[in-house]
Amino acid sequence: MLKCKDIIKSYNGHRVLNGVSLDISKGEFVVILGASGSGKSTLLSVLSGLERADGGAVECGGANLSELNDSQLTAFRRDKIGFIFQQYYLLSHLSVQNNVKMGADLVGNKDYVKIIEAVGLGDKLKSRPPQLSGGEQQRVCIARALAKNPEILFLDEPTGALDEKTGREVLDYIIKFKAERGITVIMVTHNENIAETAETVVRMNSGKIVETRKNAKPKTAYEIGW
Amino acid sequence: MIISVKDGFKLIGVSVVFFCAAFVCTFMLSYYMDVVSLKDVVSDQFSALYDAQVAMSKFVSVLTGGVLVLIAVIMLVFYIKLYVDSHSKQLGVLKALGFSNAKLAAGFCAFGLSALVGCSLGFACGYSATPFIYESMTIEGMPEVAVTFHYELLLGIVVAPTALFAGIAYGFAYLKLKIPVMHLIKGKESKIRLSGREDKERDFLTEVFFKTLSSKKLLTFFFAFSAFCFSAMVQMGLSMGDLSSEIMGTVILVIGLVLAAVTAFMSVTSLVNANVKTVSLMKTFGYTARERFFSVLGGFIPFAFIGFGIGAAYQYGLLQLMVNVVFADVAEVPAYEFDMPVFFITLGVFVISYAALLALYSLKLSKISVKEVMLEN
Repeated sequence: MLKCKDIIKSYNGHRVLNGVSLDISKGEFVVILGASGSGKSTLLSVLSGLERADGGAVECGGANLSELNDSQLTAFRRDKIGFIFQQYYLLSHLSVQNNVKMGADLVGNKDYVKIIEAVGLGDKLKSRPPQLSGGEQQRVCIARALAKNPEILFLDEPTGALDEKTGREVLDYIIKFKAERGITVIMVTHNENIAETAETVVRMNSGKIVETRKNAKPKTAYEIGW
Repeated sequence: MIISVKDGFKLIGVSVVFFCAAFVCTFMLSYYMDVVSLKDVVSDQFSALYDAQVAMSKFVSVLTGGVLVLIAVIMLVFYIKLYVDSHSKQLGVLKALGFSNAKLAAGFCAFGLSALVGCSLGFACGYSATPFIYESMTIEGMPEVAVTFHYELLLGIVVAPTALFAGIAYGFAYLKLKIPVMHLIKGKESKIRLSGREDKERDFLTEVFFKTLSSKKLLTFFFAFSAFCFSAMVQMGLSMGDLSSEIMGTVILVIGLVLAAVTAFMSVTSLVNANVKTVSLMKTFGYTARERFFSVLGGFIPFAFIGFGIGAAYQYGLLQLMVNVVFADVAEVPAYEFDMPVFFITLGVFVISYAALLALYSLKLSKISVKEVMLEN
């Protein structure tokens, strides 16, 4: 599904990714673990086509992302990718409904209201993000990402800004949707406990993968410690 | 004090407007004051022409100076609002630490420096250009007008605007800083009107298009004003012909181009900077460069053309006014008709220049990445 080989990426002469190789299967739930500065968010940006690698190759569904031009990369993100960020990045001047439409309109999804209802925000369609709690805003992000029917969902510390109760709820939604839709999920986190919910755990340090392991029986969001 | 030299550079647009206002007012008011002193030596034969010259110098300086000062006030207020919005976190933290509104607002007096720089340079250049302007306005048979330095002009064109604008900057900043500390720290997110009109049922791109337009109403004015300056002053400069000297036509044309360029760059830059988050998210989600461009900038383009149209009508009306009112009693004043070829040439140049400017910013928009938004937080 998604494969990368010998990825190298530097910023201002500082090497952030140093020969990273990874192979992710369709429908897999992968957690990329690592401390701050380990290169996990950069890897997420490169895998999703948000940034180009300086060296190596990223392959997704037969296409080599490093060979695509800007328009082709945009089309790749439009057709295949969903994003959820730690800081939500909702458009505060638009309603919940219109924020979700941002994803839905790209693929002509007219059933986006059902997704908003599925994340428990059916009564907040007309609300603006500043009127919502952090957990609710993150659920809007989930709805926005899912509304474009992505094949791969990328999450950058989605529970990082949330308290335990809300964090577990958000994680539970992600696991539930992953199971329902069979999408591939790649999540970056520094929380070791969250890694227990994934099928595959990739640990990074200083721009390299130092460990890859499989969880025989991934736990639910309510079974893990926090 | 959190206002840096770099922030001062952003006010270059205000300085340029002040420069233009001071430049025109200096030589026109100088001319008015010097020519008034000749009243007793002008023969009856030239009295009508003399009166027309006096009226024109007063008319041009009051109209040009007045309009430009008004624009400078709007620009200054716009910049302060923009500054407070973009630095609300720092200002909120300073307020939380115990700085009073008055103390923080005092720092904004530095914005008055934009008036000092623009007016001083404008006054100096205007005064230097005075002999050439006088020469170009000399009419055969009329007594020669001697250039005199008027201290009251220095006071009225440089000192007074500087003090006035420092005061306006202080007063407006003081009002803006009356926002509660937490609202300042949370930034503009907290200022979204929560009880506003409900969103209409329209697709995402249309919604962004209208929301961007309605949230930046003042920018629609600057888009229109920029095109207005271009249209009115370029056409006036090119089609004044026999109504005035060549040098006056050139001055008007150059001022028009400078004002149009400064306000156009200021408007588009402010618009793009205010929409970095929207654009980067749209890019992340896979919206094309064209979709991003039209949803953010597209709504403002019609206003530029409206401004152009008003500018064309304005310059025609103004020149008709000069011919029919100011020079009404003067014999042999050339007829003035709307200059169609000049209109179409100006429109063509405007369309090409605008397309180039928008293409430049379209490129800038396409380079914005989600990393820029992440780094902001």
